[in-house]
Amino acid sequence: MKIKVKAFASVREAVGFEEKELTVSEGITVKDIVHQLKKSHPPLDKFNGSLLFAINEEYCREAAELSDEDTLAIFPPVSGG
Amino acid sequence: MISILLQQEPIDAARVQAEAGTAADGAVVSFIGRVRDNSRGKTVTHIEYEAYTEMARKQLRKIVDEAVARWSLNSCCVVHRFGPVMVGEASIIIAASAPHRGAAFQAVQYIIDTIKADVPIWKKEFYSDGSSWINGKE
Repeated sequence: MKIKVKAFASVREAVGFEEKELTVSEGITVKDIVHQLKKSHPPLDKFNGSLLFAINEEYCREAAELSDEDTLAIFPPVSGG
Repeated sequence: MISILLQQEPIDAARVQAEAGTAADGAVVSFIGRVRDNSRGKTVTHIEYEAYTEMARKQLRKIVDEAVARWSLNSCCVVHRFGPVMVGEASIIIAASAPHRGAAFQAVQYIIDTIKADVPIWKKEFYSDGSSWINGKE
């Protein structure tokens, strides 16, 4: 299945892309994707457990499973206002 | 009336305040967040705000809907900038109206605190000698 990954702010700079399409297997979790991304983009390691995730614009946990056509967003703790 | 805006243009605070409230409201409370000229001992020139706009709009709407229901507000407007915001400029304005001041004060405090915790917007501070992403609440 195909998913979209979006990265924001310091995470965007760490991975070097804003948006990317990935072909992944059924049942893949956010955690699996982050694990893969950390291998290909070592600067992601510095975020440790602070990363936040959203699937289709709703916050989700690392254990959440993705479905075909989902958009996963990965970002650091927010700092608006 | 509820209005939520994410915009690159400067905020017209006087207009937002003037348009807030209905004839049934005895109180309009507004909060303006501005860019300071200093942060952690450094001289700040400006801040760049980055937003996950689609999700930020949804989150802002959720927060405002909650506040409207909980404090029986008659109107609530939130405007948040993205892109570069210079020192002294407003990065955010929140204006809430209610029949009495207590509800309006509490609602605005709740809204700004919850925005800082939950809405996917990030600031990158630019100094006279470099820049830095701000991750999480200050």
